[in-house]
Amino acid sequence: MRAEATAPLGRARFTELSLLVWVAALAITGFVAVVATERSSFSPAALVVPLVFLVLMLALHVFLVSIRFRGDQLLLPIAAGLTAIGLVLVQRLASDLLFQQLSWSIIAAGAFAATIVVPRDLTALARFKWTWALLGVLLLIAPLLPVIGREINGARIWIKIGPGSFEPWEAVKILLVIFFAAYLEEYREVLSHSQRRIGPFPVPPVPYLVPIVAMWGMVMVFEKDMGATVLFFGLFLAMLFLATGEAFYAVIGLGLLILGGFVAYQLFGHVQARVDTWIRPFDEDLRFDTGFQLVQGLYALANGGLFGAGLGNGMPDRIPVVWSDFVFDAFAEEAGLAGALALLALYLVFVYRGMLIALRAPTMFLQLLAAGLSFIVALQTLVIVGGNLRLIPLTGITLPWRTAGHHSSRTGCSWDS
Amino acid sequence: MEITFAVLLWGVRIAFLVLLYLFLIRVFSSLQRSLATENAVAARPIGIAHLVVQRTVRGAHRVGDRLPLRAVNALGRDAGNDIVINDEAASARHALVEFAEGEWWVEDTGSTNGTVVNGEVVRSRERLHFGDELAIGRVALRLEQ
Repeated sequence: MRAEATAPLGRARFTELSLLVWVAALAITGFVAVVATERSSFSPAALVVPLVFLVLMLALHVFLVSIRFRGDQLLLPIAAGLTAIGLVLVQRLASDLLFQQLSWSIIAAGAFAATIVVPRDLTALARFKWTWALLGVLLLIAPLLPVIGREINGARIWIKIGPGSFEPWEAVKILLVIFFAAYLEEYREVLSHSQRRIGPFPVPPVPYLVPIVAMWGMVMVFEKDMGATVLFFGLFLAMLFLATGEAFYAVIGLGLLILGGFVAYQLFGHVQARVDTWIRPFDEDLRFDTGFQLVQGLYALANGGLFGAGLGNGMPDRIPVVWSDFVFDAFAEEAGLAGALALLALYLVFVYRGMLIALRAPTMFLQLLAAGLSFIVALQTLVIVGGNLRLIPLTGITLPWRTAGHHSSRTGCSWDS
Repeated sequence: MEITFAVLLWGVRIAFLVLLYLFLIRVFSSLQRSLATENAVAARPIGIAHLVVQRTVRGAHRVGDRLPLRAVNALGRDAGNDIVINDEAASARHALVEFAEGEWWVEDTGSTNGTVVNGEVVRSRERLHFGDELAIGRVALRLEQ
């Protein structure tokens, strides 16, 4: 079926190519608009970065055609479209970071190609599951170490090696998805087909519950970073539910998460501050204090209106640290509700496509892998966009721009295998 | 001069939004098209082929049951399979039987106890001829027209 299903679209991957043409048009108009507004004139030199990026995407496309890759044709263009919009926004909001962002795209594209070529059989990943878990934990702890760890804006979640700094949990996410997928594949039956039941709930043997409780404990330790907590634990619960089909685990897990949230609210001042800011950002005492960022973000949304102020024509500089926390609001101001909805729709298709791949993957491990990677993109988008729109308390995680390429590669890969 | 630049700039800004939507529409139409083709392929009836139950265990099918085949059929103990083999010796996702390139194929999808065709263990993916006997767990099935 796999061969036949993609055959009508052509081995030549026409769908992918034609969609990439649209991405190219989008990237170039975006850059022209932003640069021309900023400098009141336009020189073609400003198009170097988007052109390098587009050549890179074209190279990936040619690479996929040349190895006769039969995987999904929509994921690469969507990821490229999202990354292109990301580059436009970096140019707009923090143009000094443009080259850094571009190099991340190049690294992601390299990783994309590598994940397709290197492990002919992704299932082999499952055999080293404890290695991935250990590596993940080490990476999580790394920012706490004295030499390489860096504290930026109060959160100690960065590593600095040489000239570059990065948030290790961008990598930890992927390692954790691999680990969960392998672990759950192995113990799924024990966890879901337990003989002992209390009422409607299955009660699996105690040893199998240890990792679940350990996960909860670990998350609680890192509780200071709310966004990461929600992401990791949410991912874990989603994959547990997918693997076992037992709503019991999801309900209990959500209960634990709420309990943890309550405890964190009581213990940590910064969590209280975040919640207060979320509930009443316009109050006299908060408006120019902790609520300033959120209030400015909301003003930006209002300024944007239905069709936006025009790319490059908004006032995103009014929002503090806009380039890391409030990218979505900045985009919504300049492209309007219309642009923001289109952006969310792209994320939606991306996740939907990933879930579809998961449904068709031949083994449990690959299914969980694809579903987990898709789910984390969804959850990350939800948490940050919800925070920016004041639907939920704001947390310090970024929109999954640069990781998008990475995810698409993995999911696309499992489709093929 | 100033005015034309400003007008052009607005043109570009509007073009960005329009292009964003055109891209989105293209994405959705490709999505819809690929779903339509895939559904058509999966639902296509393939001649009239059946798996006929030869040997079975209590709780599974009865001997002589004729199970109609589609283009792709998942076999195993899990309820999500196209053909559910209700035998503890069968794995949750045991094997795939599919029609490709005009032939029937059987593929073991990582089962614990293996998939056996005419007494031989299936290594990865093998041809399945009419009359072949496919054993999954303690259940045996014969491919028939």
